[in-house]
Amino acid sequence: MQRRDFLKTTALGAAGISLLGMPFSAEAAQSINLTILHTNDQHSRIDPFPNDGRRYGGMGGMARRATLIEQIRKEEPNVLLLDAGDIWQGTPYFNFFKGELEYKLMSEMKYDAATLGNHDFDNGLQGLAQQLPNAGFPFISANYDFSKTILKNRFEPYKIFEKQGVRIGVFGLGIELAGLVSKNNYGETVYLDPIETARQMVQELRNNQQCNLVICLSHLGYKYEDGKVDDVTLAQQVDGIDLIIGGHTHTFMEQPEVFRHPSGHETLVNQVGWSGIFLGRIDYSFSKKTKKKTDVRTALLPVNTPVTTS
Amino acid sequence: MRVQFTKAIPALLLALSLAGCQRAWHASPSLSTTDVPVDTTITADPKLEVQIAPYRQQVTDRMSEVVGTAPAALNKGNYESALGNFVVDLQLAQSEPLYGQPIDLSLTTNGGLRVPLPQGEITTGNIFELMPFENELVVLTLKGETVKQLFDYATTRKDAPIGNATYTVQQGKASNIRIKGKPLQLDKTYTLVTSNYLASGGDDLKLLKDAVKYENVGLLLRDAILNQIRQLTAAGKPVTAKTGDRVTILP
Repeated sequence: MQRRDFLKTTALGAAGISLLGMPFSAEAAQSINLTILHTNDQHSRIDPFPNDGRRYGGMGGMARRATLIEQIRKEEPNVLLLDAGDIWQGTPYFNFFKGELEYKLMSEMKYDAATLGNHDFDNGLQGLAQQLPNAGFPFISANYDFSKTILKNRFEPYKIFEKQGVRIGVFGLGIELAGLVSKNNYGETVYLDPIETARQMVQELRNNQQCNLVICLSHLGYKYEDGKVDDVTLAQQVDGIDLIIGGHTHTFMEQPEVFRHPSGHETLVNQVGWSGIFLGRIDYSFSKKTKKKTDVRTALLPVNTPVTTS
Repeated sequence: MRVQFTKAIPALLLALSLAGCQRAWHASPSLSTTDVPVDTTITADPKLEVQIAPYRQQVTDRMSEVVGTAPAALNKGNYESALGNFVVDLQLAQSEPLYGQPIDLSLTTNGGLRVPLPQGEITTGNIFELMPFENELVVLTLKGETVKQLFDYATTRKDAPIGNATYTVQQGKASNIRIKGKPLQLDKTYTLVTSNYLASGGDDLKLLKDAVKYENVGLLLRDAILNQIRQLTAAGKPVTAKTGDRVTILP
């Protein structure tokens, strides 16, 4: 779409600005940096994929991810670690332990928040309720109404994090469960329109809660051809979200996709495939004075890890 | 082209984007790779490894758990086979109590059954090899005409075991189709239990997308297989399947 053109234009614009811009270090001193780390569709992949010649063989593994996250935490003052759902289902670990280990390891890695994917309903509402005590992080969900279920009052629609005075609002969106999940498993959970819900969330987080950055954890899926609501639709139709961290479609995105609204506001959509093969990383800068977003950068690769093009 | 561009001057772009800070915010052109590979160059966190170890041991142990015994290997084959018949029959047996009523037909394909069940002891690991996918059982309601097409498909492909039915193959055409002993009626609807993969058109079964109703059973196919074998073992029965009385092949 327009992205390609836009990136070219900005590159030229930036080249112009650089002549007038402040020196690197002076600007950095006036900035607050925030590092967003994210996963989606982990699918109970505790251990790396067997290194047997298959695609992504030898990659992934939660203990390795923990090392990587720990390393980044040592380098960066402000880190948010987020997940966009489908933590469960895919290896015998889930079949045997019902999601207990996934939640425990994510707690150990200090995840800040996650949203619910369709497979997180695979053991029913009861199965989810049973494992929630093992999750030392909140699940956030704005468009599932659990009020008629045993999970009533167990989830918040959003959570606000504050890092050096910068307020980051994170809300969660889930996919329509009917047709995807057995009715036995989701019971009386009511699915609410994600677009309308997102508009309300933006209103609440930007205006009422004075957030400087709004992030949506979405399990809607990246893009569909059949008109079903997806992250692209969400990015296009809802003004005011800074970052949509997606899931469900297991999309390996080469880079975040940028959507620009008539207001000038830009929404980024990103997704990192599945199974913890990659850890998503997006770095934002904020002005120390105004707490306004000034810049975004992606993936500073760790030392001695080769740069691969996915 | 975009990739080459961003790869060529990432440091410059980073500097440029930082330099642009005083201006209204723009998405930086340095949006290149956002994926940090979790690969073999990263050492596993020892603390998490310790936490994972007992679970991993249990997974290994439980995959080697013997769940049943087969006096003879259950193999795949054309039209009907021990493995095919075993799976379509257990799909019915395991789904009906959850579905709450009898189901007319059951379908699988040889492509979905990855390996045979070996002779002798059957382990949980064998079942995971047979069915590595997270396929769920679903019940479709099909028009008689669609059911007729399904038998034509089974006749042509020879790799689609069907439960609760008998039919005759002659000169590449299905005839004398009987469901639960009664002739197929084109003006009736029939329920069919199968995997969500096939129900969504997998293995060229696009005809299943004409279903008038799609209902989830709430059971993974793999779990259905495991349940069936465990129940047989608990009842002191071996894992076997009869063949030879479902599809009649005429020259």
